[in-house]
Amino acid sequence: MNKGWNRREFLQRASAATLGAMTYSLPSSILSSCSSPGIASKADTVILLWMAGGMAHTDTFDPKKYTPYTKGMQANSVLSTFKSVPTSLDGIHFSEGLQSIGNVMNEGALIRSYVAADLGFILHSRHQYNWHTCYEPPQTVAAPHMGSWIASQLGSKNPVIPPFIDIGQRFTVGEAEELKAFHTAGFLGNEFGPFFIPDPSAGLESVKPPVGMSYERFERRNQLYKELISTSPVGEFGSDYQKESLQRSMEQAYMLLKSPESKAFDLSQERKESYDKYNTGRFGLGCLLARRLTEQGARFISVTTEYEPFKGWDTHENGYTRLIEMKKQIDAPIAQLILDLKKSGHLDRTLVILASEFSRDMMTEGRPGATVKEQVAQPDVIDDIKHYGMHRHFTDGCSMLLFGGGVKKGFVYGKTADERPCKTIEKPIKIAQVHQTIYHALGIPEDTHYVIEKRPFYTTPDGKGKAELELFA
Amino acid sequence: MINLLSITDFWLWQFLGRLHPMMVHFPIGLLIVALILELVSWRKKDKSFRSGIYVVLIIGVVSAVLSCLFGLLLKSQDDYNSDTLTIHQWTGIATAALAILTLYLFKRSGSNARLLRVYRSFLLLSVAGVSIAGHMGASLTHGADYLTEVLPWGNENKILSDPNFSLASFANATNTLDESQVAALNIEVRSIFAHNCYKCHSAEKSKGELRLDRKDFVMRGGKSGEIINVGNPDQSEMIRRLHLPRADKESMPPKGKTLSEKEIATLELWIKVGAPWPDNPTEKSVYRVAELAPRKPTMPAGSSDLKNPIDKFVNVYFDDKNISWPNVVDDRIFIRRVFLDIIGLVPTPEKINTFASDNHPDKRELLVKELLDQNDDYAQHWLSFWNDALRNDYTGTGYITGGRFAITDWLYESLKSNKPYDLFVKELVSPDKKSEGFIRGIKWRGTINASQRVEMQAAQNISQVFLGLNLKCASCHDSFISDVKLFDAYAFANIFSDSTLEINRCDKPTGKFAGTKIIFEELGSVDSTLTVDEKLKQLADYLTAPKNGRLYRTIVNRVWAQLMGRGIVEPVDLMDNEPWSQDLLDWLASDFYENKNNLKDLIFKIATSKTYQLPSVGIKNENDIVNADYVFKGMHRRRLSAEQFVDAVSSIIDPVYSDTLKVYDPYKDSKKSELTYSRASLVKNDAFLTALGRPNRENVSTSRSSQANLLQALELTNGNKFNNTLESGSRKWKEKFETNEEIINELYKTSLGRYPEKSELTAANKLLGSSPNTENIQDLMWAIVLLPEFQLIY
Repeated sequence: MNKGWNRREFLQRASAATLGAMTYSLPSSILSSCSSPGIASKADTVILLWMAGGMAHTDTFDPKKYTPYTKGMQANSVLSTFKSVPTSLDGIHFSEGLQSIGNVMNEGALIRSYVAADLGFILHSRHQYNWHTCYEPPQTVAAPHMGSWIASQLGSKNPVIPPFIDIGQRFTVGEAEELKAFHTAGFLGNEFGPFFIPDPSAGLESVKPPVGMSYERFERRNQLYKELISTSPVGEFGSDYQKESLQRSMEQAYMLLKSPESKAFDLSQERKESYDKYNTGRFGLGCLLARRLTEQGARFISVTTEYEPFKGWDTHENGYTRLIEMKKQIDAPIAQLILDLKKSGHLDRTLVILASEFSRDMMTEGRPGATVKEQVAQPDVIDDIKHYGMHRHFTDGCSMLLFGGGVKKGFVYGKTADERPCKTIEKPIKIAQVHQTIYHALGIPEDTHYVIEKRPFYTTPDGKGKAELELFA
Repeated sequence: MINLLSITDFWLWQFLGRLHPMMVHFPIGLLIVALILELVSWRKKDKSFRSGIYVVLIIGVVSAVLSCLFGLLLKSQDDYNSDTLTIHQWTGIATAALAILTLYLFKRSGSNARLLRVYRSFLLLSVAGVSIAGHMGASLTHGADYLTEVLPWGNENKILSDPNFSLASFANATNTLDESQVAALNIEVRSIFAHNCYKCHSAEKSKGELRLDRKDFVMRGGKSGEIINVGNPDQSEMIRRLHLPRADKESMPPKGKTLSEKEIATLELWIKVGAPWPDNPTEKSVYRVAELAPRKPTMPAGSSDLKNPIDKFVNVYFDDKNISWPNVVDDRIFIRRVFLDIIGLVPTPEKINTFASDNHPDKRELLVKELLDQNDDYAQHWLSFWNDALRNDYTGTGYITGGRFAITDWLYESLKSNKPYDLFVKELVSPDKKSEGFIRGIKWRGTINASQRVEMQAAQNISQVFLGLNLKCASCHDSFISDVKLFDAYAFANIFSDSTLEINRCDKPTGKFAGTKIIFEELGSVDSTLTVDEKLKQLADYLTAPKNGRLYRTIVNRVWAQLMGRGIVEPVDLMDNEPWSQDLLDWLASDFYENKNNLKDLIFKIATSKTYQLPSVGIKNENDIVNADYVFKGMHRRRLSAEQFVDAVSSIIDPVYSDTLKVYDPYKDSKKSELTYSRASLVKNDAFLTALGRPNRENVSTSRSSQANLLQALELTNGNKFNNTLESGSRKWKEKFETNEEIINELYKTSLGRYPEKSELTAANKLLGSSPNTENIQDLMWAIVLLPEFQLIY
């Protein structure tokens, strides 16, 4: 059931839930929300599985000719550093190490033709900013993250679960400031900003009384607060929005922290057998947390392999070796997430997306034909296995996966060339289409915008993005 | 030399000229007939039409040549002046030439198949030519949109009349129409002109040397003199002609439908009320543009008990709105207010008591002065406001690739020394190494949108911060929220650039270039041949010149908003919006300039006014603050800023940020701070401060939301940072105080500046129990600092 929630009516949660009507959170002062009448939604929840750092398509979901490592090999001869393995779709192969995801591909759609923006000299965080906000940085106003647009338009699905949850990214890493620049609700206001859970196994800490405080004490403290408010001579201030919003927010926080749903944040409550299936590290546990929160009514969840310069998918060297590890991290938990959501019936109304800011190639930096300053020295002849891998940033052909949320099952969209530079040759799809496709699934109209500083700011630049309807069943 | 004028004036030439529209039908018809006959015979390989075609072609050619000659005669006697005519003329002449060639080829071809093909091609070309020339001619006669105007999609460029326009609403109109009436009437009149008169009297064609598509042309009139006599419709040539019988050769419009009664009545009314035509009425919504020049309104007489000029102006406003002056707030409220507003800290209980028991009549003025003299405290409070506005921060995007420069040192010293505002602006606009960070903007690695290049950022940020003008729209395309054009934005940005920037429209190069120009041209012109540094020096001088009233209105309005919770103009970045009191705004701005741009003097004047000391006013909905019908009644209650809240907790309970965490040390080695904690304005932004509303300073930000939200409440309810502070504080308090009463009283005194009420004491006592433990003390602290009474400036 689709439970809408208006923060102003938070205290009437029970009645709001029975109404079952969609009520939207209202934006604050300088903003006004505008959009066409709603369209029928196909999904209530979005889970974004973020492959941070640039995931090479030819070594993951779009394998090409495999050339095993031999000392003295020609770099230009290498298109894939892994063997291809069959998937549950006829004629569709993945790169070795992704068999589990391959086995559930009959549940989702594979996009092989995402073309990332052309932003010149590569800075990962700029492309990530572009992917998450649909705008190229810098902008004249703070552009909101996709999750914040969704939070502002649909509100929480369950009042005690924040509408935008961001799992796995820490901001103590390199490029942290650039990462913060798009992990924000921007001009929509903090209210719609991300609720951060950097470490999924400590998720509960974010939603329980402070460390060392028992629930009894927490209850007593809140009781005192209410009592002091009612006895304090606040009458002379009358009633105003600052005071009201403060009390309302405090009440909301209190309810979240003591709600039974907050157990969903506690991974120790998961059956061991199931926990172990997901436990490939922080990303795997993030998938588990995302599943638990989805079951309790989350709206938008992002789970990231975490961006840290030169770590994770950001392979500037040892690409082959590193990818063995990365695949181990993601393969089982993602497949398990899909299977579990399907089993519990949530997959129908949950859109799961796997994406990365761009792809990688051994030879081409940026886009074929464009002159982009190279950042990785790639010897023509490979004498050391550390040079065997996709180390340069490639924007002209990237893979994405979509599951659930009304998306076609067992569908393949777009194509890349089989020869270097293995770029998109069929149905290129760009970021504005990706965003609109996600919004379409959620029933958010294409012309949704906010008026900021008197001008309309759309979910996609100038409101021009179009959903790719072919992806939907 | 032949006297052209006398030739064209000759009656026969005139007559022949007027035969042009008749003559042109011959070549049009005949050349097309020739082509049809050719097509019919071509398929059948039949030569029986050949002699017929010959005759048709001969007449066609002769009439084409005559048409050209007559056309040239017509041109010389009528007032055509458009590109359409030029195209018409030359396609006509070309067609005649083609027709002659066609005829020649026809004669030569005989049964030569190759020549026959050439001839047919030329015939086809002639027909194409005659069609184009014919269409152009028709456009001249009937109007360019004669064909397209009946198409449902062909109406885009028309001035649309308001279907609800009602003459009745002007029934009692005199010479004093309000702004919206003027705009409505003018649009209606121009719509009538566009639909009925533009065909002959606009840019395309100006019959009788008259154009009706621009104000100056309408006022100037035509060949036979002025067409309107302002104020007297009866004596206006235009109205006279509209009323003439259709048979009269001077009747207007000369052909087609006449104007309706209502349309004529509208024009008469318009002339009667003075033929108003606002300058620059590009569309129906005429943007309000604020005066640029300074203005010093005369001081209202007012009642004798109001000494402060601010109060005298507010008194006039209150009279006008039927508002009576409430009593000013008591000493305890006043001291908390000025402490928070001027130095960002809460007063100690001792300070409050001393102040409350002081009997000096000028004690409030003295207190304000004392606070303004605490230079470091003052600077550390206002630093946050200016960091937001100048998007200066200790961390942020851009630093990673050397694309951003901090100005903290310069800013802090400027605030501490109370640098005159004009000098402050000059040093930011025409900077040295220490202050260049503001106009250098933020540069990310890689290619960026043309509207975000650093020169354009400088233009945008200077416009927004110093002039209260939004240039962001216009840096991508002509603005649709003001009259600022893309060209203007580039001309302004060029001042910051060492080469002329190519104008990009929506990130697409246009191949065009603007010169250098300040958005407000009246301020002076910047010499585009100078170096960047020299241009910036010129710009800085022009911006801070006394005649730039906008600079001074913008800053006094910002300071007013900081102290009163709402600007005289709101939002504070849109200075073209209407102030609730123009006189007050203008006076403050002029006075500020006359007082040597002294910001502290401005704060002193505001903080010591009776207006500032009125009881605070609450707002039901955050949107109400920008409502058009806003009425000022006193300062608005607001949330403590992130920094004010954190500093208050640091000073009362325990340091939230220890002294070692400050990233900017204002005391350097000279003198140590008396504080045991670091003020929040001096530390890096983090999740806690962000949740409490400190912006990421990627963009200029000049006001903060006063609205609380869930993420903020969560940080305060279970966040580690805040919890640790309270925990550590409670341990110290446990050491320091013995009894419940001591703790409760001390907490109320330091946090809220008062003793607890009996009911509060009971509730607190109940929690603390028989002997206070640290947990209970911590919880009491938590509850008190989260009370609205603590969280608000009231």
